Amino acid sequence: MTEFHQAAAAVYLASGIAALLGIVLPSERIARASLYGLVVGAVLQGIAFATLHRAAAPPALTDWVSVGALVAWMAVVVMVFFAWRMRLTTLAAVVGFVAFLFVFASLLKDPSTSVAVAGEAGAWPHAHVLLASAGISLLGVAGLAGIFYLIEHRRLKSKRALKRRVPGPSLEALDRVGVASLAAGFPLLTLGLATGMMWQRSENGVLFAGGPHEVWTLVAWLFYAGVVFVRFRGQQGARQGAATAVAGFVFLTFAVVGVGVLR
Amino acid sequence: MKLLLVGMNHRSAPVEMRERFAIDDPAPALEKLVAGDEIEEAVLISTCNRVEIVVQTPNVEAARHRLVRFFGTEWPAGPQGSGGSEWATRTHGAAIEDHLYVYRDAEAIAHVFRVASAIDSMVVGEPQILGQVKDAYRHAVDAGSCGPILSRLFQRAFATAKRVRSETRIGHGAVSMARIGVDLVAQVFEDLGSKKALLVGAGEMVEAALAALQGNGLGHATIANRSLERARDLAERFGVTAFGLDALPRLLAEADVVLTSVAVAEPILGVELAREVLARRRGRPVVVIDLGVPRNVAPEVGEIDNVYLYDVDDLQGIASQNAEERQREVARAGRIVSAECQRFEGWLGALEALPTIRDLSARAEALRRAEFERSVARLDLDEEQRAGLETMTRSLVSKLLHHPLTRLRKESDRAEGLALRGAARVLFGLDEPEAGADSEALDDPADDT
Repeated sequence: MTEFHQAAAAVYLASGIAALLGIVLPSERIARASLYGLVVGAVLQGIAFATLHRAAAPPALTDWVSVGALVAWMAVVVMVFFAWRMRLTTLAAVVGFVAFLFVFASLLKDPSTSVAVAGEAGAWPHAHVLLASAGISLLGVAGLAGIFYLIEHRRLKSKRALKRRVPGPSLEALDRVGVASLAAGFPLLTLGLATGMMWQRSENGVLFAGGPHEVWTLVAWLFYAGVVFVRFRGQQGARQGAATAVAGFVFLTFAVVGVGVLR
Repeated sequence: MKLLLVGMNHRSAPVEMRERFAIDDPAPALEKLVAGDEIEEAVLISTCNRVEIVVQTPNVEAARHRLVRFFGTEWPAGPQGSGGSEWATRTHGAAIEDHLYVYRDAEAIAHVFRVASAIDSMVVGEPQILGQVKDAYRHAVDAGSCGPILSRLFQRAFATAKRVRSETRIGHGAVSMARIGVDLVAQVFEDLGSKKALLVGAGEMVEAALAALQGNGLGHATIANRSLERARDLAERFGVTAFGLDALPRLLAEADVVLTSVAVAEPILGVELAREVLARRRGRPVVVIDLGVPRNVAPEVGEIDNVYLYDVDDLQGIASQNAEERQREVARAGRIVSAECQRFEGWLGALEALPTIRDLSARAEALRRAEFERSVARLDLDEEQRAGLETMTRSLVSKLLHHPLTRLRKESDRAEGLALRGAARVLFGLDEPEAGADSEALDDPADDT
């Protein structure tokens, strides 16, 4: 298992570096190779996950570092899907590096510190972690596309984009990534929240215990509900959409991780 | 065998002279050139910026006279009439010869390589020239005027051009307004196939921009112009629709790309109109390229969210910057051309050494065979002894010639190669009749006894 994780981390790092080289040199071939690298890394990490959960004593699902690696893996899969169709090497480079950091962090973690999941919860913890992670990774990709959109927008407005030797991702491509990720990520986050409530009920007998994590996650979900409503009714321009995607993901990260850390 | 190039280009001759030498079908000219004794192979390159004839000839001076005469008096008349010395002297006060450049051997090779690699072009790094040189080569092959030497020269020129394009940035960065505009649009829109462009005006700028946009897969375009008739003319040629300027507010709301180039005193797109139009677009981005002087679009329009406005100064600045960058790449491209020239000269030199090598080998073999036959006739040898003697004589000749032949091949592309070839021909009597050589000069001294 560890070997696959190590190999995945190395391949992600190599892919990130290759993507950067592809941009700097610039070389279409190297940029394309970085995408193949991300595919290989995702396959290796997928095998690592499969091996991990087929083991006699699987590690806890609720561990943040493991969840981070899972979210990164899903983000890589989503990114490869988009980058295969559009000019998004810079985004792929960032995702490659982020995936490397998360997988590397999971390698450094001491397995004995994992929190065990209670047996009577059944399949709800699994469903919650998988669905919420998928939602978070997609909304993370939307947020990342939003950041890049705002950077490119500024460059184009200030006319600095004209002087650049290598064209960056187009605004339209970044907007498409943002919209598609939001469209898929929000329902998954909703399902993640619903399965989290079912897990809560199976353990404590109540759907909503009112803990800080639950409250803030619910507020983040309401925020995204508003974003989705405004975006898909065509009431928001592409730049504003990018800005709200970034704000939404910052808020979601705080709700899911920050609240726990502050507590 | 010598190479010679005679021609004129944008630096040596004015456009009104070059256009008189424009030629659609070079076949009759090429056939005429190779019909004489002075020229063995010929390729004619004719573009809007250059007319050049490259030839392979046994006599450079005779070929040069022939080509200059061809330019001066025999050039086929084109749509602009014929060139010719009389016309040139009358119009420019100078003979055609004054506008022609002449390159010989290494210079000619380097020039062909530089032309194919777009180093010698008016717009350095432009991509069209390679296709034009390939066409010139194809025409020469079809006309039967291109033999092995020029074929090899042009194949190497194409390979050199490919190297230059892939190993340097000579073709990077657009230098035309139209191309820069398209690059800019590509930074906003991923897929032009689903986009609509509105082009305001019907002049050359709009035409060039429309061609560039359509060349990059633009889905739909509309032309708006004060003179509807001119707009329709242009629209018909490009298969798009035309409107008068009164339809502008409606057309603007539908357009993802707006390009303007009209002569107006006041901007045709002000902030109010732009805000109204964008409200109808629901925040979808729009690229506005204003190529008009005075400006056709109020500069404040660029401050509106989701509007990306560029004027002629923005684009001109990039064009100059890219042109400078291409110029910087010329030195790198020149090094590639030099290396490839040396390779070609090496091949050419080796080709020149071939007759001497062939003659020397043949002379040695003739001597060996004659001596072998004489010995066999004198000695009573069985089959085995005969085979042994044959092997021994072959080996002896081969070993004796190994060093001279290797040197001839090796030095073929250097200055010493010529001296060595001359020496070999004199020392081995390669230019003398063969008959006396084997029986007299190399008689076995033992025969005297």
